[in-house]
Amino acid sequence: MGNTVLQPDTEFIKDLMAAGAEDVKKCYQCATCSVACELGDGAFPRRQMVAAQWGQKEKLLADPAPWLCFYCGECSKRCPRQANPGETMMALRRYATAQYDWTGLARRMYGSAVWEIGVLLLVAAMVIALFTVPQNFGFGLLRQHPEALQTVRLDLFAPKHVVHRADWIMAIGLALLLLSNALRMFRALTRGKHVPLGVWLACLPGMVADGLTQRRWAKCGESRMHWLRHLVLVTGYGTIFTLVVIFLPWFQVEDTGFHWTSLLGYYSTVVLLGSTGWILLDRMGKRSEMHRFSELSDWLFPVLLFLTALSGIALHIVRLANEPMATYTIYTVHLAIAAPMLIVEVPFGKWAHLLYRPLALYIAAAVNRSEAMDGYKE
Amino acid sequence: MKPVLVIGGGIAGLTAAVELADAGAPVILVEKSASLGGRVARMHQYFPKLCPPRCGLEMHYRRLRESQAITVLTLAEAVDVRGVPGDYEVDIKIAPRHVTADCTLCGDCAKACKAERADEFNYGLAKTKAAYLPHGMAYPMLYAIDRAACTAGCRECETACKYGAIALDAPPETRTYKIAAVVAATGWKPYDATKLDQLGFGKCPNVVTNVMLERMAAVDGPGGGRILRPSDGREPRTVAFVQCAGSRDEKHLPYCSAVCCSASIKHAAYIRAQYPETAVTIFYIDVRTPGRLEEFYARVNRDANLQLIKGKVARVEENPATHDLLVTAEDVMAGKKNTLQFELVVLATGIVPEPGWLPAGLGRDEFGFVSGSNGGFYAAGCARRPEEVSATVEDATGAALQALACARRGARA
Repeated sequence: MGNTVLQPDTEFIKDLMAAGAEDVKKCYQCATCSVACELGDGAFPRRQMVAAQWGQKEKLLADPAPWLCFYCGECSKRCPRQANPGETMMALRRYATAQYDWTGLARRMYGSAVWEIGVLLLVAAMVIALFTVPQNFGFGLLRQHPEALQTVRLDLFAPKHVVHRADWIMAIGLALLLLSNALRMFRALTRGKHVPLGVWLACLPGMVADGLTQRRWAKCGESRMHWLRHLVLVTGYGTIFTLVVIFLPWFQVEDTGFHWTSLLGYYSTVVLLGSTGWILLDRMGKRSEMHRFSELSDWLFPVLLFLTALSGIALHIVRLANEPMATYTIYTVHLAIAAPMLIVEVPFGKWAHLLYRPLALYIAAAVNRSEAMDGYKE
Repeated sequence: MKPVLVIGGGIAGLTAAVELADAGAPVILVEKSASLGGRVARMHQYFPKLCPPRCGLEMHYRRLRESQAITVLTLAEAVDVRGVPGDYEVDIKIAPRHVTADCTLCGDCAKACKAERADEFNYGLAKTKAAYLPHGMAYPMLYAIDRAACTAGCRECETACKYGAIALDAPPETRTYKIAAVVAATGWKPYDATKLDQLGFGKCPNVVTNVMLERMAAVDGPGGGRILRPSDGREPRTVAFVQCAGSRDEKHLPYCSAVCCSASIKHAAYIRAQYPETAVTIFYIDVRTPGRLEEFYARVNRDANLQLIKGKVARVEENPATHDLLVTAEDVMAGKKNTLQFELVVLATGIVPEPGWLPAGLGRDEFGFVSGSNGGFYAAGCARRPEEVSATVEDATGAALQALACARRGARA
């Protein structure tokens, strides 16, 4: 063993503690957590705990392991020091999400409630302005078509080909932002590691499967309930996302007749309301280990999803009731919740885990496999 | 001079009593069980010298016998103290022994007795009859009868005793004494290992505690000193020690019990002395052997068959067919999680202060340890903090000196 000079980054320790790892210094390295964890490498999360205590920022940002944790909470439950390793891994993910974002917005929003809520409100205000300002300046379609005030003419208020195009622009914009952040994660996690192209390709199907099913989570902890609930939630927002981005011309309708898209809409509404409502109750009641500690970012994501679904129901009802002004108002509110949620959460917030987590799993699998191959050759 | 009341007949109370008597103070020594000796009498050997506790205990007993100044009351508990430092009055409740001083230790009462009681002296490893001799180092050296364990209406022991030493109907009594000061040496008990639900105690026969191992190794223990697997009576070829079984754990005992590391190293030495082929593994968080004990640790650790693994055992499971145990811990130095198989697992359980009556004025800290001194009341030994025997003896001597000063002040006033 050679001499290693450790350079503790004390700012990193403070930031991490502020991000939720306030008990990290209580850890005395007994390794009960490593035994409790069914998914880790045998030293997880103990090794990350000591690295965090010692301010090893670079090491931890280059470590996919915190993303392999689905927070069953067994480690925290059994920790004899109440150092809460589960929440420390969560804090590491929050911290990494802020670091991987090159725009710096994520860091600001994770660091300050004023920033996070400010940005959400700003985007909401922009959405509201987009729908209300034109209506008052002569080029509002409602003014040109007074009949739209008697009966619901959503297409006159918000023409679907325009909204559809805007959806696409937003989707592509968010995807580019998220991908560019994910690229930074990829660089951080693969620096100094040599993985042959063949191994990358061979591990690709696994990444897709992980991303779609979170199958490793099913092995985590004693109960599969959290995994199943999350999986159902994924199908819910996957459905609604597809409806809005791809099938909007069939989804945004203004008559009261039957549309096949309504069935899918009902499905995702029920799922989104049910799962996020349940999750919020769990967080409020601190009913499980993973919901014992809640940062603002942990509240905002389910709250916004819940409100999106709720305003979606309201919109559906007033449209069927043929209440034009109520329909236009709630349509605006609905988008003023959904758009900021997507814009803030997907590339900068908690929702970024939809790419970060499978990517980290992918990199970990590929690195492990190529290291095993190297070991075999030797 | 009024006497000093010493509560507890373990090594701390015995030391305080004989030191006080030596310095000229009369002493009333009360012990709630049927014999003096406490937990030290249950030990096979002391660390670090690996000598038996008998010689120290015998020296104390000799000083006790030779002293005219010490009144020993067994099966006795103080229940109330009134007064001011130097001038107290104490009520002592004495349960009947049901055996008089005419007992010759012939043992006919126990032979005739059909009822059994859990043998607390052997930590439940054996049973005794309701008519029993507390242990081989008993003081007073007399049988006792546990009426709570008797079969209703049975008087067989009375018939069997040739010396008329049985008094089944003796009543309890309460005596009142004038005293000057109190030394509370109420001692400790091992942490209840059944509360450690991941470690298998109470479910797997071959998971024992450190105090049980002490009795297994003791020549006067139920197995005659041979350390054997409880499930099949075979000698264990692999033994694991689980350190901090309850200690340093916010959910159990948040403090370090101070002696368990040295005790397990001592136990490893017992096992290695009995079985040259047996491999011993100690799983630890930190090995805490302060002062001269560091040398003891180094000495025992030279044994190639002793392995120390840094990593707390978080799970013990049993192979139901063999009753062998699967112990899971991370080897922190290697960064690898292992599940290793052992034939015997010893949980190094910690020290819990014995609960029970204390004079009002002696408080307890958040863990139940008796805090320091107050007025004419002084605490000593493991009642006050977890400590090894030699430290307890020094602690009790200090408490005796303080109590003596209080008694002297009271005598002058």
